[in-house]
Amino acid sequence: MSETDVTPDTGSTATTTTAGESDERVREAWTEYRAAGQTKLSVDDLDVWYGDDHALKDVSMDIPSESVTALIGPSGCGKSTFLRCLNRMNDRIKAARVEGSVEFDGTEVYDPNANLVELRKRIGMVFQSPNPFPKSIRENISYGPRKHGDINKGLLARLFGRDDTEAEAELVERALKQAALWDEVNDRLDDNALGLSGGQQQRLCIARCLAVDPDVILMDEPASALDPIATSKIEDLVEELAEEYTVVIVTHNMQQAARISDQTAVFLTGGELIEYDDTEKIFENPESQRVEDYITGKFG
Amino acid sequence: MSREQYQDRLSELRTEVVLLAELVLERYEAAVEAAEAGDIRQADQIVRQDDEINRWYLELEGECIDLIARHQPVASDLRLITASFKIITDLERIGDLATNLAGRTEYDAGIHPAVDIRSLGMTAAEMADTAVEAYERDDADACRTVAADDDALDSDCEATTEAIIRDLITERAASDATKSADDGVAERADSPAAVEKTTRGLLTVRDIERVGDHAVNIAARTLYMLDNNEALLY
Repeated sequence: MSETDVTPDTGSTATTTTAGESDERVREAWTEYRAAGQTKLSVDDLDVWYGDDHALKDVSMDIPSESVTALIGPSGCGKSTFLRCLNRMNDRIKAARVEGSVEFDGTEVYDPNANLVELRKRIGMVFQSPNPFPKSIRENISYGPRKHGDINKGLLARLFGRDDTEAEAELVERALKQAALWDEVNDRLDDNALGLSGGQQQRLCIARCLAVDPDVILMDEPASALDPIATSKIEDLVEELAEEYTVVIVTHNMQQAARISDQTAVFLTGGELIEYDDTEKIFENPESQRVEDYITGKFG
Repeated sequence: MSREQYQDRLSELRTEVVLLAELVLERYEAAVEAAEAGDIRQADQIVRQDDEINRWYLELEGECIDLIARHQPVASDLRLITASFKIITDLERIGDLATNLAGRTEYDAGIHPAVDIRSLGMTAAEMADTAVEAYERDDADACRTVAADDDALDSDCEATTEAIIRDLITERAASDATKSADDGVAERADSPAAVEKTTRGLLTVRDIERVGDHAVNIAARTLYMLDNNEALLY
């Protein structure tokens, strides 16, 4: 076994692994990987079972803040399961059992006393199919903040229970601008959101997620149901969001991962994280032969 | 297109690059031989055949672009295509340098005596041949050998250049002495023929040295292709 020279700042490794060397050898190389930037989420020895099915095996990785981390792999490899563990969405599945640790800014997500509402406010999620509420564009954005009490803080609201429309308008505008949707909908905020195109609906869902002021945005195949133009808008948006937020994105589209992410984690069948490194490294010269075969289309 | 067809195209690209290299190096070696022998007929043939290399080069360039556009290759596939894309440019340039050598033979009344064209020319050819073999056979060690050989070639080319200049200076001194004794009857060292001989000698050495540089480029791209190692690129 050859020595692996790991540079802490960049995480780049100096040796390569040929076919036949074990995944364990590869894992030893990348577990030392530290992405540039401060750690936002730290996952340690995470295991997930759905009944008897061991869906995620012993996964450990640090996700840096203000960057895009892509999770790729074939169907059934556990990448979406992993994503849902980060804000405990798997808690909603009765048969799911989770072991291990996920720390968010140093606080244990799986602490039995954790406030799940607050957790999911700070770690928001955007799903594969756009799922706006059958309400107006404005209400789609303001629903979350209103529920969390972030809108009606003004004097009128406190004294008379009246909506603070100014605060709502500001918040709606900010979220829609952040989601690059404002210019397309600002003259019809009271129209039903279901009248928007698929790409607009997805950006509305992103705006809805941003409206409650999260730290982390989890995205599960956010562009898989969209055409190339709408996909491109979502990708541009993801890159912009990463300047302020931590984005973790599951995608089947490897070119999308290559285009927009800073670091990429490759899960392969069996629920194992095989390799995690800078995206450039994964797509130019991965350590693992299995990862090489997967991304070049020879397997999976 | 199926994955299998895509893999076939990648492997065919590599084969085609090697075949182009064989043709280019054959022409280059023939140009060296023609220059050495003063064989104007062979030199003329090499000049006229350069278009064939250019056409093949453009076809392979198109194939690389098509593979990138349609398959978005990654990892070793990406490195193979990008390395090949650069290597064919080096091969095309070696083809041009062979044409330069041949062109000079056509119009030149013999090579400058300080230029050992066979020794220099064939050293560069062997380097290019080794680099192409490394590309064909995944031989990273051979890539490093080519880079090391280039230092020796550069040194020989530099010595030859110095010899040409020294020769010019010596001839100039001799012709000045003759002129003062004979009042300009003998050929002067700065006569058009003498300047032409010196210039062509220097250009020949420069072209051969450049063939060596292109061989190093091919080795460098091959090493990147094999190991993602950019050590020889700088």
